[in-house]
Amino acid sequence: MESKPLLRMANISKQFPGVRALDNVDFEVYPGEILGLVGENGAGKSTLIKILSGVYSRDAGTIWLDDTPIEPRSPQHTQELGISTIYQELALIPHLSVGENIFLNREPLRLPAMGMVDFRKMHREAERILHSLGTEVAGRTPVKNLTVAAQQMVEIAKAVSQKARIILMDEPTSALSSREVDALFGMMHQLKGQGIPVVFISHRLEEILEVVDRIIVMRDGHRVGTLSRDEATEEKIIRLMVGRKVGLFPKQDAEITEPVLEVRNLSSNNGVRNVSFTLHKGEIVGLAGLVGAGRTEVARAICGIDRVIGGEIRIDGKRVHIHSPADAVRHGIGWIPEDRKQHGLLLRMTVAQNTTMAILRRISNALALMNTKEEKALTTHYVNTLSIATPSVNQIVNNLSGGNQQKVVLAKWLSSNPKILIMDEPTRGIDVGAKAEFHALMSHLARQGLAILMISSEMPEIIGMSDRVIVLCQGRVTGEFKRDSMTQEAIMTCATQFVKLDAFADSITAS
Amino acid sequence: MNTPETTMLDSRQTAAQRGLTAWEWITNLLKSPVFIMFLVAIGLLAYGQSQNPNLMAEDNLKIMTRDTAILGIAAIGVGFVIITGGIDLSVGSMVGFGGVMVAYLMKEYGWSIWGSVIGTLVMGAFIGLIHGLFVTKLKMHGFLITLVTMGLARGFILVITESFPITGLTEEFKSIGQGYVYNLIPIPVIICLVIAVLALYLLRFTYIGRQIYAAGGNAEAARYSGVNVDRRIILAYIVSAVCAVVVGIIQAARMGLGHPGTGEGYELLAIAACVLGGYSLMGGEGTVPGVVVGALLIGILQNEMVILKVDPYYHKIIIYTVLLIAITIDYGRRRWRTLMIASVIDSLRQRRE
Repeated sequence: MESKPLLRMANISKQFPGVRALDNVDFEVYPGEILGLVGENGAGKSTLIKILSGVYSRDAGTIWLDDTPIEPRSPQHTQELGISTIYQELALIPHLSVGENIFLNREPLRLPAMGMVDFRKMHREAERILHSLGTEVAGRTPVKNLTVAAQQMVEIAKAVSQKARIILMDEPTSALSSREVDALFGMMHQLKGQGIPVVFISHRLEEILEVVDRIIVMRDGHRVGTLSRDEATEEKIIRLMVGRKVGLFPKQDAEITEPVLEVRNLSSNNGVRNVSFTLHKGEIVGLAGLVGAGRTEVARAICGIDRVIGGEIRIDGKRVHIHSPADAVRHGIGWIPEDRKQHGLLLRMTVAQNTTMAILRRISNALALMNTKEEKALTTHYVNTLSIATPSVNQIVNNLSGGNQQKVVLAKWLSSNPKILIMDEPTRGIDVGAKAEFHALMSHLARQGLAILMISSEMPEIIGMSDRVIVLCQGRVTGEFKRDSMTQEAIMTCATQFVKLDAFADSITAS
Repeated sequence: MNTPETTMLDSRQTAAQRGLTAWEWITNLLKSPVFIMFLVAIGLLAYGQSQNPNLMAEDNLKIMTRDTAILGIAAIGVGFVIITGGIDLSVGSMVGFGGVMVAYLMKEYGWSIWGSVIGTLVMGAFIGLIHGLFVTKLKMHGFLITLVTMGLARGFILVITESFPITGLTEEFKSIGQGYVYNLIPIPVIICLVIAVLALYLLRFTYIGRQIYAAGGNAEAARYSGVNVDRRIILAYIVSAVCAVVVGIIQAARMGLGHPGTGEGYELLAIAACVLGGYSLMGGEGTVPGVVVGALLIGILQNEMVILKVDPYYHKIIIYTVLLIAITIDYGRRRWRTLMIASVIDSLRQRRE
């Protein structure tokens, strides 16, 4: 630790359209340490790792490995340099054996001229490496027969066999039980003993605290703090993660009246468990939680995309059954999806065609003939009121900027005259100015009596825009806050609540 | 409803704008691949006429337009499926099925002409419905289920005809394929025009058509906007099968018999006409005028090769070479977006400004 860093990154910056993902970040890894990298969703952790592993190129900055500047070009290239990355989604070939996976493309040959593989040697070697890492797996086992945890071990073994000098792990524990996590940590210590540093990204703070030597905290593309093992506590990390700044969000008070949407004990086949909440007219309710907490899944269940397997949904006090998105539209529910290009827009169609997509039948007569005059008038109206920057209503949507595309999705739903609007990450990937404009629009709509359910990963947005916040964790509601009582720390604590509980349950079943 | 603010323009400005839009309309027309195809078709006719004046003689024009119309009907039908992003390989077999069934109903069951025609159409619609159900409910690719029908329908008509044509159809029925309106326009051309107008109305002017394009453009986004995507895809497969059966009926009437071999390979010709007409196999693109021009091009080419006495063994090579050239230009244009004509027009416009 006291020695000089094995890997150093200085002044790394990365710009995505509309977002500054990394801003002058420094980063260093010392030989033989386990380094934790933490931050909220979108803080820039994954971007940093992807730059280091050659998936993204950086806009500015320098990377040194052993005092030699390096230029990561591609994942293969960085692997040759000795930087191995293990992602959440494993990159193994399921039908091949453990040994074949570890030595893929570098198989030991028996008759090199014939290209004949020495399977015996390959499998023995694979078992030896896994043994040195503290795991016993037969080299001949097909990878698909292994648990996720064991597959991860195989990936790590593969990295070690490639003479990895640094191993990066992006949320390796998210799919593991607590016993498997312990085994993974044991392996990390083995690697540490061999002098190989491990960089470890995780949302689970107590895990991080259990294993790491040093923690780097990121927020909004900046490195906001470095804590050594001794001084780090969960509270300290959370405070650094969420920061102190709130503002920019012009949510005006709206008159909150009768309930519009009541969700009672809703469960879906896609991981929503027993979720209950109420949404009132004129209210913006924020749905907070970590990625994978089931926020989008709640929206999908309400919109009839996922199948509801329990509980009920009431609109205006009447119980409704929503089996398809068409039903949801009929009941006055609009959904602005997270991925507007995939789920929200017909990119090759025009602004007008997109705007009327949800109300086609309403603007058509009995002979199914569309009233194109009304279509044009309606679209022009929304282009003006939402100030969509487009040369004409016949512009192809693909040619608009992200913020304007998002407004077209909004126009589509507003024209359908909804009672409830669900917005999933409404301002993701649009630039700051357009963001503020969109927030002003949301607040204006709430004042007109629309009920808005807003899903967001950005804490300031949640705090700034919501009248009420509902926190989800692993598909369940773990907290609810009114405007006056919500703090980022409290929301974050609720969002990570079951992580601890699950570990507790696991330890009981284990003993 | 919401009324937008209308901006008043002073008259000169409006006139200038109108002039600009007229100019833009012409340039857009000149840039449009469909119009270029149309010009190619005209050019082809002119060339053929210069080589053999019989090409534009009344008798040959009747034959040419009738063949083109028959291909056009099949192509318009399969075009619906292609817009939804699917494909219908059963067109050829359904043509054979339609011809044999209509003859079979008349000869074996003694049904009237209209009874047989309507009965055959209903059977075609039913097969299309089944295609649609497989594609939407089982999420099977249209390629597979229509490939199965291609074999099954052909096999079925071989079984019921024992591979002998069904002959002895009435003159009245034959007039569907052989007759003329005012002794000039072949009846199949009239049928094709009626179908083209209906298809144009459906695709361009109704919400149903808009939803069919949406289903092909981005099915998920359409579904989440409340569009019943499944129903539109099923409709497309029904239209395709019904159009194929119509072609079969016309062919049976024209030949005066229900021949089990009719329509072999017709699906590829129909798909080729769509592609020539600017349809994208990815779905979401294609217009009725486009497919009509595509069918026209193939129809003229086929007829001209006969009139100019091109060795029949070369017919397929020539047709599909033309297709290859057309799609290569189309894809190349999409990639580089610089066609000679476009740059010529731009330079013209610059000069004008």
